[in-house]
Amino acid sequence: MSAAGDDGLDEIQGIFFEECAEGLAVAEQGLSAMAGGQVSADVIAGVFRAVHSIKGGSGAFGHMALLAFSHRFENVLDEVRGGAIPPDAAVTGIMLGAFDILSDHVAAAQSGGTPPADAAMLEQLDKLLANKGAAAEPAPAPAEPAPADEFGFAPVAVDLDILDDPFGFEPVAISLDDLAGEPAGGWTVRFGPSRDAMANGGEPILVIRELERMGGQILDADLSALPPLRDLDPEESYCVWTIGLPATIDEADIRECFDFVAPDSLIDIRRQETAPGAAPPKPEPVPEIAPLPAPALRVVETSEPAAPEARPADAPQQTIRVDLSKLDQLLNLIGELVIQGSILSDRLAPADQERVELPQLARLTRQIQDNVMSLRAQPIRQAFSRVPRMLRDLMAATGKQVVLETIGETTEVDKGVLEKIGDPLTHMIRNAVDHGIESPEERLAAGKSAEGTIRLSAEQKGARIIVRVADDGRGIDRARVRAKAIEKGIVSPDAVLSDEEIDNLICAPGFSTAETISNISGRGVGMDVVRSNVEALGGRVEIHSVPGEGTSFTMALPLTLAILDGMIVRLADQRFVLPLSNVVETVQPVAGQVKRVSPGSEVIELRGAYLPMRRASELFAIAEHQRRAPEESVVIIVESGVSGLVGLMIDTIENRREVVIKSLEDNLYPIRGLGGATILGDGSIALILDIDALIVSPGFNKFAPKGMAA
Amino acid sequence: MTKLILTVDDSASMRMLLKASLTAQGFRIEGAEDGAEGLERMHEVKPDLLITDINMPKMDGFELIEAVRDVPEFRGTPILVLSTEFSDDKKARARSAGATGWITKPFDAAKLGAAIRRVCP
Repeated sequence: MSAAGDDGLDEIQGIFFEECAEGLAVAEQGLSAMAGGQVSADVIAGVFRAVHSIKGGSGAFGHMALLAFSHRFENVLDEVRGGAIPPDAAVTGIMLGAFDILSDHVAAAQSGGTPPADAAMLEQLDKLLANKGAAAEPAPAPAEPAPADEFGFAPVAVDLDILDDPFGFEPVAISLDDLAGEPAGGWTVRFGPSRDAMANGGEPILVIRELERMGGQILDADLSALPPLRDLDPEESYCVWTIGLPATIDEADIRECFDFVAPDSLIDIRRQETAPGAAPPKPEPVPEIAPLPAPALRVVETSEPAAPEARPADAPQQTIRVDLSKLDQLLNLIGELVIQGSILSDRLAPADQERVELPQLARLTRQIQDNVMSLRAQPIRQAFSRVPRMLRDLMAATGKQVVLETIGETTEVDKGVLEKIGDPLTHMIRNAVDHGIESPEERLAAGKSAEGTIRLSAEQKGARIIVRVADDGRGIDRARVRAKAIEKGIVSPDAVLSDEEIDNLICAPGFSTAETISNISGRGVGMDVVRSNVEALGGRVEIHSVPGEGTSFTMALPLTLAILDGMIVRLADQRFVLPLSNVVETVQPVAGQVKRVSPGSEVIELRGAYLPMRRASELFAIAEHQRRAPEESVVIIVESGVSGLVGLMIDTIENRREVVIKSLEDNLYPIRGLGGATILGDGSIALILDIDALIVSPGFNKFAPKGMAA
Repeated sequence: MTKLILTVDDSASMRMLLKASLTAQGFRIEGAEDGAEGLERMHEVKPDLLITDINMPKMDGFELIEAVRDVPEFRGTPILVLSTEFSDDKKARARSAGATGWITKPFDAAKLGAAIRRVCP
C-alpha cells in the first residue's frame, strides 16, 4: 500500500515483525504480572504501548486483520489504563486470551497464513467496553461494532481513511438543496483564518494557493477586521477571503485543503446559486452536517488527559539496534583472528612469540571475543516467554491445572543457542503436561493439590547453560516404559537396565509411550528429537524422575556455538578436537589397567575404581592395523552428562587450543558423534568430537555397530 | 529546494517506512526514536517540517510539540502528528500543544506527501 520499493518494504516489514515480537513479549510479561496481582500504571501503560505499536505498524503494512484486532484490544487497554475498566482477575483473563489471539494474528500476518478466528474474543472485548466502560462514556453510541465480515475483519476500516479530518473541525455549511439541485454554478468558499491560525505553523496563504491551483479565484478579501497599523500583530490573521471555484471540483477535494487549518477558523463551502463574480452569499453558521469520516468505532478516551504517562523502566537504557548478520560477521572475523593467532603461535618459536608480543595479542583477541560474545547474549526470557501461552492452551486442551514457576529468566545465552532451544523447550513442556501432570482428580486422590506445578529454570554453570523443566506429576512409569521399549525392539527382553537407563529410553528414537497419540505431545516427534536437537547444539539432555513425585528434564547447553576451548588429540594419524569442558584428566595406561569385562565393554582402573572405557579407534572403526594397544595410548577421562565419568582411549595428545567451530550441519550434514570441524594452525582440518553423543547415547551406532546396552 | 523532514517515532519500521515513502517523493528525511531525541535532532538539523508520533517512551509527542514550540526559532515550523489515535480529544490536545495537523496511521504515501506539501510547499 505504500510507496516504498518492494525490496525495501520487505526489509522494513521484517523489522516490523521483530518489533511485534518484542511488543508481544512486553505485553505478555505485563499481563502475566497483572495476572499475578502486580497491577501498576507502569505495567498497564507498557502493555498498552506494546499493543498500540503493533497496531500502528500493522496498518502500514496492510495487515488488516491484525490491525482490526489490535485496535479493539487497544481500546480495552486504553480503558483499563484510564481506570474505567478495573483490571481484576476476570478482565485480566480476557486480556490474556486477547493477547493469545493477538500473537496468532501476528504469526498469521508474518507467515501469510489465515488469521485466527477472533470473533468470540472481539465480542468479549466489546462487552468489556460496553459494560465496564459505560461509566466513562456518557453516550457510547453502542459502538455499532459493524458485524465482522467473514474474515473477522472489523469496522476499523473507517479510520483507514487516511487523512482523517484534523481536529474534528468546525461546522461546514453545505446546503443539501444545493447538492441535490441542478448543475448550479461553481463553489463559493469563504475562509477566515482564526486570529492565531498562523501560530502553529499553519499558513493561510498556502490554503489559498492550493485552492488557486485547483482553479480557484479570489473574489473578495474582507479587510474590515484589519486594525490600525500600530495595533496590528503581524503574526495574527485578520482577513476573510471569498474564493470562487469551478463546479467540476469535488467538495471533498476542497475540504481537504482545509485539513490543517486551525479549528476555530471560518470555513464556509457552498454551491453558488448565482454566477461567480456576483456578491457572495451571506455566510451563516449552518448546523453542521458532520463531515467527519467518523470512526464507526467507539473511541475511548482516557479520563485523565494523558499527562506524561508513567513509563516502564525501559527509559534510561541507551541502546542501538544492529542487524544480527553484522554481529555474525564480526564473530566470524574474530574466529579467523583466533585461527591466525594459532597459526602464528604454531610457526613461531616461544622466544619469537615473546619478542613479537604474541601472548599480549592473544589476550586482546580473547577479550574482543568475549565482548562480541556478550553482544550476542540475550536473556533466556525470550525463549521462556512462549511458555505461558502454550500452557494456557495445553490446560484448555487437557483440563489439567498447571501453575508455572520460572527462575533465572535473566540468564544470558547466545542468540544462536536461544533460537534453537525454543522447539526442545516446547516439547519438554508439552511432555510435562501431557505425561507428567495428572488430572486434578487424580492429583487430589494422590493427596496432591489439584494444581500441578511446572518449574522452568535457567542458570549458568561454567561454560554451560542449564535449562530445566521440572514437574510435580506422576513421574515416569518405568514398568510401562520398559515394556514399551521391549515391544518396540529398542531393548532386548532380558536386558538389565538401571532406573536411569529406563528413563532415558524416553529419548530413544521411535519411542512413544502414549497409547494413543494425543494431539499434544504426539505430533510425530518424540523426546528423541529433543535429544538430537540439543545434542546438535553440543548440549545434552538428562532425565530425572521419582515415581509419584515428578520428573525433570535438564538441558545442558553450551554458552556459545562459535568458539571452543579444545584439546587436540591424535588418532590413527588424524587429528580431532575434544572439547576441554568435557575433559577431567588424562591417563597413560599401564599394562593391566584396562580390562575387558564383556565383549565390547571395557573398563579402566583408576585409583581403585573402575570406569567404563571406550576406544575411539573402535567407535570410528579405524582399520585394525592402525589400532594401538592401551599401553601405547592415552585415555582421556571425560565427563558425560548421563553416564558420569567415562574413559576415551585415543593415540596421543597434541596440545590445547581454542578452535573456531565450523558447522557440519550447515556445510555438510549433521553427523552423530561429531560436533563440527575446525581449521587448525597449519591449515589442516580437524573434526570436533561430541563426547556426549559419542560415548553416551544409546542410539549411537553409526560408528560402533554394537552400540550401547541392547 | 529539497525539504528536510524530521520524523519522530519509536518504531524503527515506521521510521523506515516513512523514510522510504517520502524519500521516493523527493523529501529528505531524518529520524529520531523518541521525543527527547527528537528535540535534540530539531536543533541539529532544523527541519522544514516535523512529523511526530504521540505514544512514545521518554518524551511523548505532546511534550515534544510543546517543547519545540517553546523554541522561538521553531514557532513557525509546521508540525504534523502521525498517530494511530484519532480521538478528537487527543487532536485538540495536539492542537493546543502547537501541532499544525493530524494524520492518522496507517498512512497512504501519496496522501501523506500531499498533506506535507499542504503545510510545507
